[in-house]
Amino acid sequence: MEHTEVVKPETLDELIKALHDIFESDCINVEEVQDVMESYESKPQEWMQYAKFDQYRYTRNLVDEGNGKFNLMILCWGEGHGSSIHDHTNSHYTKSLGDMVQRSQRILQENKVAYINDSLGLHRVENVSHTECAVSLHLYSPPFQSCQTFDQRTGHRNSVKMTFWSKYGERTPFETISQENN
Amino acid sequence: MLHAGAKKFVNPPRCALTTGPGANSRSIGGVGSAHCNSNTKKKTFARTLSRVEIHAKFVKMEIDEGAAAAGDGVLDFSRLSLNTFSPDSISGERKRDTRQLYLNYNRLTALPSSVCDFGNLEFLDISNNGLSAICEGVARLARLRTLIAKNNRLDEFSLPKEFGSLRLEVLNFSGNRFEEIPLQCMKLLRLHSLSLGGNRLKSIPAEIENLTSLELLYLGGNLISAIPPEVANLPYLSYLVLCDNRIQSVPPQLTRLHSLRSLSLHNNLLTYLPREILCLVHLQELSLRGNPLVVRFVKEMTYDPPSLLELAGRTVKSRNIPYSPCDMPSNLLRYLDLASKCPNPKCAGVYFDSCVRQIKFVDFCGKYRLPLMHYLCSPECTSPCSSNPQSDADSEDESSVPAYRLQRVLLG
Repeated sequence: MEHTEVVKPETLDELIKALHDIFESDCINVEEVQDVMESYESKPQEWMQYAKFDQYRYTRNLVDEGNGKFNLMILCWGEGHGSSIHDHTNSHYTKSLGDMVQRSQRILQENKVAYINDSLGLHRVENVSHTECAVSLHLYSPPFQSCQTFDQRTGHRNSVKMTFWSKYGERTPFETISQENN
Repeated sequence: MLHAGAKKFVNPPRCALTTGPGANSRSIGGVGSAHCNSNTKKKTFARTLSRVEIHAKFVKMEIDEGAAAAGDGVLDFSRLSLNTFSPDSISGERKRDTRQLYLNYNRLTALPSSVCDFGNLEFLDISNNGLSAICEGVARLARLRTLIAKNNRLDEFSLPKEFGSLRLEVLNFSGNRFEEIPLQCMKLLRLHSLSLGGNRLKSIPAEIENLTSLELLYLGGNLISAIPPEVANLPYLSYLVLCDNRIQSVPPQLTRLHSLRSLSLHNNLLTYLPREILCLVHLQELSLRGNPLVVRFVKEMTYDPPSLLELAGRTVKSRNIPYSPCDMPSNLLRYLDLASKCPNPKCAGVYFDSCVRQIKFVDFCGKYRLPLMHYLCSPECTSPCSSNPQSDADSEDESSVPAYRLQRVLLG
């Protein structure tokens, strides 16, 4: 049965449940996912346990693995931290829980959701602030373990493996071969 | 303004979110951040934080002064729209017990000198106010280890005279109006974290080398045009951020920073890097995007064709033609003595004046190519395997860096 209305998730747990429900179906409505993610109002005490920062680079912190259908994670960006240019061979929804800048010149406003997939091309995300850290919520469907990164000047492309800084609020320092994160 | 005897509006105590292992405690102010007290279970209230500029979404609870934050030494007066802060209304005992004082996100234009009455204060956050000076009282906080004063109106004239005598370990002045790093800061010998991002710094003083405990130096978002080689004298520096400046070159001495793990140089005016950067064996993060780095492999960047004199000289030297002082005028003898051997180890050539300043791409981990500067005797001088420019896109054996050395380079 198709969802015709979006029930506003009041908590992060409700958001996760709503996403599980949506992704049960074989046919996912992009706008529906965007709406439900956008309607979740950021409540820091709900996601704080996942917001683990690293001094040197941004971190990826797994929140929910979506029954294999999607990955929901929180990315923490210190001052000036940014990702490499990369693609998404699948769908990617991102929502700022603080201020971010997407290299495609879209500024992610707080609580708004941005969507990108393979046909939209490459992007880079960075925290351009020199005074503030930033936190963003990301949903990838299907989940992926690797993607491609690109050298802007030469177009050289490289496949990289993804790793998590933490999972479900626990630090996971021994992920296999720490390589490019994005 | 707090009045003695009245109910006080105090936010629940909290702790700053800390970063990864071994990192400094950071104050994560405002942007989607939250603070919690490690003893939350004992408290019956909680609050939501959000960016003050968008929504002031916080809950003020009316608390009796005696009950608030009993025993954990945290006094939180942040986000209360305070125009002034008057410590006089706080009991002496409470002031003595306070270890962390939060005054961030208010409307303070000045701090009273009586802040020094917080004799045991270790952590002070006065970020996001309208402060144009740090009062003299702050300099008397003998136990102060962390001072966060982001987003105010401070400049190099704002610090009290005795500021340098503080035993600070963490100092954050980002988002202010500093045009110079004040010399008083160079006296903080216990400093291991210094942040001056988002100011108006035009240079880094050579005295930076005095901060021998420094591990983190954040100078992104300024107007810096050069890095003094003295930065290389900081033995424990592991995180150096110089992005969003006007830096044109990197001094080769930086190779001495054996502890450097992360070097951020994006959005500057770099056209090349010194070869010595390959020696930074612990470097795991290097960002170079937004620099006018050479895009294509260019063989003849600045090559003036050699003069006849040079060509003759090269022939004499490369063919080992014997000569003696009676064979030629002394100026030619001197000229022949100036021959430099071509640095390309596979080339036996020499050059005098006419050399090619060449940008050679070095592959890091087979992922990215960095342009490194070196000199060759002629444009034709390349390693024997590459006879056409296209194949130079592959890494050269003698200059490729093992993958374990550099795990991540952000380019483009």
